[in-house]
Amino acid sequence: MRNPLIKRVPRELRSDWHKYLVIIVFMVLMIGVISGMYVGHDSMLAAINNGREELNLEDGSFELKSKATKELLEGITSGEKADVRTYYINKGTEEADKEVAEAIEDELNEQVTKAIEDNVRAICEAYGITDEETIKTQIDTAMEDSFEDALKEARKSEEFKTAVEDAYKEAHEKVVEAVDEEWDEAVKKYDLDDPDFKAQPITIYENFFHEEAEDNNNDGKKDATVRIFSKDAEIDMASFNEGRAPEKDNEIAIDRMHADNVKVKIGDTITIGGKKYEVVGLLSYVNYLTLHESNTDLMFDAFGFDVAMVTSEAFDKLTSRIHYSYGFKYANKPNGKVETADYSSNTLKALITQTLVNDNEIEDYLPEYLRQASNFAPSDIEGDSTGTAILCYILIGVIAFIFAITISNTIDKEASVIGTLRASGYSKGEMIVHYMSMPIIVTILGAVIGNVLGYTAFKDLAVSLYYNSYSLPTCHAVWSNTAIVKTTVIPLVLMFFINLFVIVKKLQLSPLRFLRHDLGRKKRAKAMRLPKWSFLRRFRLRIFFQNIPNYLVLAVGVILIELMMCFAFGLPDSLNHYAKNAPDMMFAQYQYMLMDSKDDDGEVIKTTEDTAEKFCATELMYPKEKSTFRDGMGSGGDEGVTVYGIEEGSSYITIGDKKGNYISTAFSKKFNLSAGDTITLNAEYENKSYDFTVDGIVDYEGGIALFMDDDSYRQIFDIKEDEFTGYFSRNEIKDIDDKYIATVITTEDILKVTNQLMHSMGSLVDVFKYALIVLAAALIYLLAKIIIEKNEHSISMVKILGFKNGEIGALYIIPTAFVVLIFSIISFVIGYYLMVWIFHIFMLKMDGYFAFYMKPESMALSVIYLLIGYALVSIVDFIRIRRIPMDVALKNME
Amino acid sequence: MNDEFLEIKDLKKSFGSGEARQDVLRGMNFSVKKGEFCVLLGPSGSGKSTLLNIIGGIDTPDEGFVSINGDKLEEMNEKQLTLYRRKHLGYVFQMYNLIPNLNVKENIEVGAYLSDLPLDVEEVISTLGLQDHKYKYPSQLSGGQQQRVSIGRAVVKNPDILMCDEPTGALDYKTSKEILALIEDCNRKFGSTVIMVTHNEAIKYMADHVIKLRDGVVRHNDINEKKISAFELEW
Repeated sequence: MRNPLIKRVPRELRSDWHKYLVIIVFMVLMIGVISGMYVGHDSMLAAINNGREELNLEDGSFELKSKATKELLEGITSGEKADVRTYYINKGTEEADKEVAEAIEDELNEQVTKAIEDNVRAICEAYGITDEETIKTQIDTAMEDSFEDALKEARKSEEFKTAVEDAYKEAHEKVVEAVDEEWDEAVKKYDLDDPDFKAQPITIYENFFHEEAEDNNNDGKKDATVRIFSKDAEIDMASFNEGRAPEKDNEIAIDRMHADNVKVKIGDTITIGGKKYEVVGLLSYVNYLTLHESNTDLMFDAFGFDVAMVTSEAFDKLTSRIHYSYGFKYANKPNGKVETADYSSNTLKALITQTLVNDNEIEDYLPEYLRQASNFAPSDIEGDSTGTAILCYILIGVIAFIFAITISNTIDKEASVIGTLRASGYSKGEMIVHYMSMPIIVTILGAVIGNVLGYTAFKDLAVSLYYNSYSLPTCHAVWSNTAIVKTTVIPLVLMFFINLFVIVKKLQLSPLRFLRHDLGRKKRAKAMRLPKWSFLRRFRLRIFFQNIPNYLVLAVGVILIELMMCFAFGLPDSLNHYAKNAPDMMFAQYQYMLMDSKDDDGEVIKTTEDTAEKFCATELMYPKEKSTFRDGMGSGGDEGVTVYGIEEGSSYITIGDKKGNYISTAFSKKFNLSAGDTITLNAEYENKSYDFTVDGIVDYEGGIALFMDDDSYRQIFDIKEDEFTGYFSRNEIKDIDDKYIATVITTEDILKVTNQLMHSMGSLVDVFKYALIVLAAALIYLLAKIIIEKNEHSISMVKILGFKNGEIGALYIIPTAFVVLIFSIISFVIGYYLMVWIFHIFMLKMDGYFAFYMKPESMALSVIYLLIGYALVSIVDFIRIRRIPMDVALKNME
Repeated sequence: MNDEFLEIKDLKKSFGSGEARQDVLRGMNFSVKKGEFCVLLGPSGSGKSTLLNIIGGIDTPDEGFVSINGDKLEEMNEKQLTLYRRKHLGYVFQMYNLIPNLNVKENIEVGAYLSDLPLDVEEVISTLGLQDHKYKYPSQLSGGQQQRVSIGRAVVKNPDILMCDEPTGALDYKTSKEILALIEDCNRKFGSTVIMVTHNEAIKYMADHVIKLRDGVVRHNDINEKKISAFELEW
């Protein structure tokens, strides 16, 4: 026989549907939104990763000045370094030989001519001929008659042969000398003599492009630069978010994100390079997930830059300069970051040497792992779940709390039934299972509906947030382990154990105590004597004292509400605050990162800008705890630390003239580091580690950085005296050629980053904010409902005694309102500090750091919203009090 | 059949300590035969409910023991006591303590579920005269009807002992008699030993065995040779 108690569950759900609806809606919203965020997140990453395979993402690319010959392609494909020295010597020797041969010929002609002339003059002198005219005529005749023979004769002479041999030898020696000198420099520069070099065979694909002016509103003005690829490219292909690939010469498919930004739709006509095209598709190129025009751009530009696809015929008709770009893939896949970097450096060596020996030039080389356009979005998406995770844990706590009080309340209410059942022989285990079934069923119900929504509507919401920021491919919902663990398994487990704990604790009492309604831990103390106030006042005070345990529960609930409010208001505040203060956090208005410290002529790059100050910098990784469910950058991966070598007496960073290692305040706060601590930083793409003892902290909130004096830096990283990374400057530096500047970080760039953060999280934050306000209202409703329910019997009794509803309302609502008012402020303080702590914990999982911040008005609003919410709930409470029938006090009570 | 089915020996129980100490049971001795209808009679505070709770295994004595069919309750752990209640006892309280969101039939099934050899639920409903109400919820029933359901829940287990704690305490005269008749009927029909706690002197006339308690001791332990039916009772 099935336990008939199970039939109570659906009936209880029906009879108390208000309460359970609130709880289920609460859970569905929480699980739905969070599951949607994770599913969206994982689906997007899966779509990106699938795209990498399906759309044949390169392992790297290079651009040559002219189209590569078959020999050059074969050479690069082999991965082997070409023998550049021999090539140069051969080439030099060939030229030298030509020059020497010419020189010899000239010299011989001169000498033979001179010999013939001397001979004629001597004969004329012997015959006494002095007339110069006659002599010249004789010379000309002799030249005509014997020049060739004399030349032949001279060539045959031993003297000539020795001279020629010496000339060639000398010339060849000079060639070798010159080549060796140049070669040594090249070897040093490109590390061509690396003993660890291992040829990495690659497959090369043509991926030529044109760059044209895009006029997307056909007004004759350039709106953007568009990089156009041919439809038949076999590497770095595109997926279509909408429409199709071009089929006719006048058709074009452009980047979806760019099209969104410039309001171009399918069917629109745009002008490219003076020719009109119809937009037939909106696409996402696998190597342009963000529209970075140049890899050194700090931020992408989806307005001013576009990528597009045309048919191969249309491509051939484009008139602008063709960029001979080639994508390549390794024959053997590298394993891990260090090996990827090794492969790339070996390939670069092969490329440099092979290009040289094939008389071509490299215009650009970029391994995929350093490609911003394909890596920026995934690494950003990976780190995006922080807010979701914080919310998730807060809400699980809230739900567990709601269930704990609901169950505890139900057990109190059903004490005599429990006592009877226990006395009749129901075991404690059976009762526990019975009372556990409701929260578990409700959680499963919430989880199922929540997950269904998470995989559908909320996933689309999350994905649309990503689409707002990046040129991403179309994605399909994928099964997300993270979502199921975080939104279903963890809440279920938590719900299970919290309820088990509460229920087991509650059901510890003997059947007799249940029968006697003797559920308190302690015997009630003697009634407290109250001053001679009015009866109603004393009565109210008695109700207050009687309900203290209920008010404690209410107080915990209010703390949770305030925690939610702090999250709802504090997250956007923190982002805005960071965005607002980021420019002030920069210690230099301009930070120029140079490609190299020397120009093409080998001269140190200098500037006349007075405020410019040289610095050295490198990026190392600080190891942090790995995330359990996901790994990779930005979600538990290592934290990037910029290590600066600062000139003595720097006007930008004050570490004084002291030697030592100084960390930024952000670094110190994030990882709780202080002077005396030792940190180990690792090189990201090499197997190198450095230990540093922290000597002090520099006030810099803008980044995770380590500062040290220039000398120490050079010593540690083996940097020469004339080498450096770039310049700090207060003004723009105008006298350094752009081609030597890798990146300039200005206050605007920092703002771009924070604006982007606001843009991609902005709508998410609003969703969270309103969802939390609704949930907070639901929670206060439940808490107030429970207090009235617990007092139902007393309320019914005072009604029988003849109290009016208004009086009863004043008796029961005013003490609660008083408690809510007091605790709203105390709870705000507790909630605020809890949030600061939670935010810090989760910041650890993100790259970079900013502290939790709330505006004073947001603080006030957090309390005001709660009070408004409670005021509304009080009205509902009053209605509830009016509806309590008088027979509650008479029926079913001992 | 063991004559002394239930044996109470030197049972003592007190509440509180020091000056507030109150001896509720002060060495109580008696025995009940199987199938007997036994009434524990006494004024308020005489210890009759405490005694019933100890017999029911939901309270423990300070001294002495209760033995059922030779098994001493004091030697049982909590699990064994639960099993003892589950297999051998049926409880009827003054307050009916029905489960509000289960109907009449289901409330009776709650008892049937506990037994290995339950009586037929429909038959019990019929015996209790609740056929017309079996799909009603407790709130739709009168006090007497609710107490019938509570009796049904207890007897459907086919218990060896039916424990009744003031089962008519909250009922009017007529309904009380109906309820007593039902308990009598169950005693006769299903053979359960009935131990009923009451302060209503009149009920003693329908019992086989009357134990009068006062100040925690047995004052009278009488076998009623001339018992009458519940409907013949007057008070």
